[in-house]
Amino acid sequence: MTRKELQTLTAIEDDALFTFAQYDPEAAEKTGYSDYSYWKSTFRIFFKNKTALLLLAIMVLLVVFTVIQPYLPNQKDPTKIHIDPATGHQLRNHPPSKEFWFGTNVIGQDLWARIWSGTRTSLLIAIIVGIWEVVFGIFIGALWGYVRQLDALITEIYNVINNIPNTILLTLLAYIMRPSFKTMVIAMCLTGWLGMARFVRNQIVIIRDREYNLASRCLGTPTWRIITKNVLPYLVSVIVMRIALSIPGTIGWEVFLTYIGLGLPIETPSLGNLLNEGRRVMMSSHLRYQLIFPAVVLSIITVSFYVLGNAFADAADPRNHY
Amino acid sequence: MDEPILSVRDLVVKFSLRGDILTAIRGASLDLYPGETLAIVGESGAGKSVLTKTWNGMLDANGWVDSGSIMFEGKDLAKFKTEQEWLTIRGSKIAMVFQDPMTALNPLKLVGKQIQETIELHQGLHGEQAKKKAIDIISQVGIPDAEMRYHQYPHEFSGGMRQRVVIAITVACNPKILICDEPTTALDVTIQAQILELIRNLQKELGTTLVYITHDLGVVANVADRVAVMYAGEIIEYGTVEEIFYDPRHPYTWALLSSLPQLGVKGEPLYSIKGTPPNLFVEIEGDAFAPRNPHALKIDFVKAPPFFQVSPTHYAKTWLLDPRAPKVEPPPIVKSMQSKYKEYAI
Amino acid sequence: MLKYSIKRILQSIVTVFIVITVVFLLMRLLPVEGYYGERADKLTDAQKEAILRKHGLLDPWYVQLKNFYSSLFKGDLGNSIIYRRDVPVVDILKPKIPYSFGFGIASLILSLIIGLSMGIHMAREKGGFWDNVWSAFVVFINAVPAAVYLLFIQMYVTSITKLPILFTKGNFVSYILPTVSMSLGGAAGYAMWMRRYMVDELNKDYIKLARAKGMPNKDIMVSHVMRNAFVPMAQYLPSSVLLTISGSIYIESLYSIPGMGGLLVDVIQRQDNTLVQALVLIYSVLGIFGLFLGDILMAVFDPRIRLEKEGGAR
Repeated sequence: MTRKELQTLTAIEDDALFTFAQYDPEAAEKTGYSDYSYWKSTFRIFFKNKTALLLLAIMVLLVVFTVIQPYLPNQKDPTKIHIDPATGHQLRNHPPSKEFWFGTNVIGQDLWARIWSGTRTSLLIAIIVGIWEVVFGIFIGALWGYVRQLDALITEIYNVINNIPNTILLTLLAYIMRPSFKTMVIAMCLTGWLGMARFVRNQIVIIRDREYNLASRCLGTPTWRIITKNVLPYLVSVIVMRIALSIPGTIGWEVFLTYIGLGLPIETPSLGNLLNEGRRVMMSSHLRYQLIFPAVVLSIITVSFYVLGNAFADAADPRNHY
Repeated sequence: MDEPILSVRDLVVKFSLRGDILTAIRGASLDLYPGETLAIVGESGAGKSVLTKTWNGMLDANGWVDSGSIMFEGKDLAKFKTEQEWLTIRGSKIAMVFQDPMTALNPLKLVGKQIQETIELHQGLHGEQAKKKAIDIISQVGIPDAEMRYHQYPHEFSGGMRQRVVIAITVACNPKILICDEPTTALDVTIQAQILELIRNLQKELGTTLVYITHDLGVVANVADRVAVMYAGEIIEYGTVEEIFYDPRHPYTWALLSSLPQLGVKGEPLYSIKGTPPNLFVEIEGDAFAPRNPHALKIDFVKAPPFFQVSPTHYAKTWLLDPRAPKVEPPPIVKSMQSKYKEYAI
Repeated sequence: MLKYSIKRILQSIVTVFIVITVVFLLMRLLPVEGYYGERADKLTDAQKEAILRKHGLLDPWYVQLKNFYSSLFKGDLGNSIIYRRDVPVVDILKPKIPYSFGFGIASLILSLIIGLSMGIHMAREKGGFWDNVWSAFVVFINAVPAAVYLLFIQMYVTSITKLPILFTKGNFVSYILPTVSMSLGGAAGYAMWMRRYMVDELNKDYIKLARAKGMPNKDIMVSHVMRNAFVPMAQYLPSSVLLTISGSIYIESLYSIPGMGGLLVDVIQRQDNTLVQALVLIYSVLGIFGLFLGDILMAVFDPRIRLEKEGGAR
């Protein structure tokens, strides 16, 4: 009997309602259900964060622009030294103009082209290091958690590496190898995986020992299903966050290594190199643009990735899914 | 009977959850009389805890009292907003014992200090005097070596002992009403009885009004004077413990009693209530229990029943009590209750 | 507690040995040219060999390691090669320690005061206006490489406030900027962790009981939440103390403070291997010692760790 029929009944004959209704087991089950979905909640919370959305837009634009910039018309070669046609000398420290949007540097190279080229280099390092961190971190973490014989050994290695300040370890590694793109990547890869490995190891120990997973296994849930349902969603969000956060982190290290003299060779523009070049002239106020432009671009990149990584981590945390 | 010490009328409590609004309490009314022990029973999610949390302003941040009143000592607690107002109630008037004693104590603070700070809040004692009082209370709740225990941390206590400490904290409050939210659920069966005994003795000593929240009808039979049965955010039947156990009227109460393992018949499968409680995100039309009720009437799907009086102390919210309704016999297990209840309540 | 401390001491000592050995061996991988000094191209092969022999570089690696350890136990970190030729490293470092120490302590105190009060304020006003303002500060400092904001402070603040750009011994006004800028990073870190730990504590069950027993929120904050939130912070306090004391690499070189951090930048650029090695070792040992002290401090504060902790990975 549909609700409409019932309502008409009410109007006609009250007493008829005082008879038994048909018991419908399906209707009894239908009433209570949970519409909780991990990803739906994660994205709902993420999209509620207006700052994060704004930064997401900025970041996507920035990354896309960085990639396509060399193919746009009227772009200059980042390493070409421009000559002033009037004097025949290098076009040194030319202030920002129609021709050179961000001006030229001390030897007459176009700062605009150098900034985007530098951003490409720095993002490339960051992405390689971020991916390595995730891949190697998960690999070591899985070994650490699953192979019980290796537990003590990896724990000791972890403690030793983790005990040394990261700054010093990175400095030492970069000092021993010759400054180059490869050196930079290798040095950061050697230190970056620790956090990820530890996280994965803890997750695996949790899969092994947590009561809800034990209960789930007792009910006959296969291990792959526990992994895909209980662990993977969380792991995916951690991976996204790690890669997002490794970008400001890696750029920070690059700037640091460059500052202490262990950066990329000067011929290769990178955000660290540009900042360092700008630093040399920052005390003459008319040349400050050479520090300010790279610093602003660098800050926008690092802040947006940092905020996005954290906003996503917050959204992915089931404790915030109320 | 006396004037009620606390009386709830048509209380509606809502929560905002994952962007939707959930109605956790859908118009509950209840009276609490001084010195009595009231048990609130019902399955998980029925709103038992939420109902009592509105009495001392302990609702989670995403919940609020939407309408209704909670009268206590001439004030309407439903209208309380500020912390200042609630501080006049919490502890000193209404105190609470929580379900899990393992997490209810600050792990980094001496057990004695946690009791002592409560005494300093509510009894106007300070320093050495408060400490002495704290040690007294520790022995009062049946913890031996009180002096030594004062200087220990929570992790040095077993679960049962920690629950005694939590009770000691509420004793230090000296409240008018003590709400015990499933105080024994997390404990061993052997410890459960001791804790119930302790609470009962303290109630006698201090003259507190007790509210038990539980889904364990065994506890109810042991401790309660009166019982209120909750379903889907409503109180659907209430009466004295004898009335609820001997002469239940609501089909949900029947179902609840039938599913008591202690009442099961050997060799027969244990009764369980079919289906699941309703989704509180959508508005419920008619009687919330109707879809799971094998005795449901057509009117249950159209209109929510009012309370029908069974005796001056016993009310039930079911159309089966309407004179026009067909006569329905309670299930056999419930009918055989009387004899079983006697041996079971000891 | 005693058992745990002893275990932790032994663990740290083993780590120190491993680190020293690994650092020493890694430094052996470097090309030997650095040892010839500035006039390398004028030296004959025989002279070069004599120099290498003098430094013991022609011995097998295990003999070198043994010699290194035996002089290390006598407090000898070797001699500088380039920075100040043949001057013992220890003598170079000695006058620099008070500078690093002084600035470290001053900026640490400042960063604790700023960071903790900021974190507490944020946790109490969670989601409110000030929480957002301070969060923006914390995010900026954490995300942007320190060099960027430090350079901007030096560039603009000096011209606005007329504070000196470079450090001069005895001129206290010139101490202000380095100390303040040095404390920013720490302050942002302390603020972030304090806020996070306090929010974590606020969600715990014992807070519910404290509220239910009628404790005012203000008292709960002071006697439960802040207290408990500070315990996990305590773990990282010693390492940040030691590392700040040992000098900020950026600040010392930017403001020309003659401390150890500035020295590291100098000797890296001039490739003075023994000084680099010595500084790397000092910083590593300080790092290890800091984590050790942190664990002990944590155990002092947290009675559960005192009894239960078995050690192992952090």
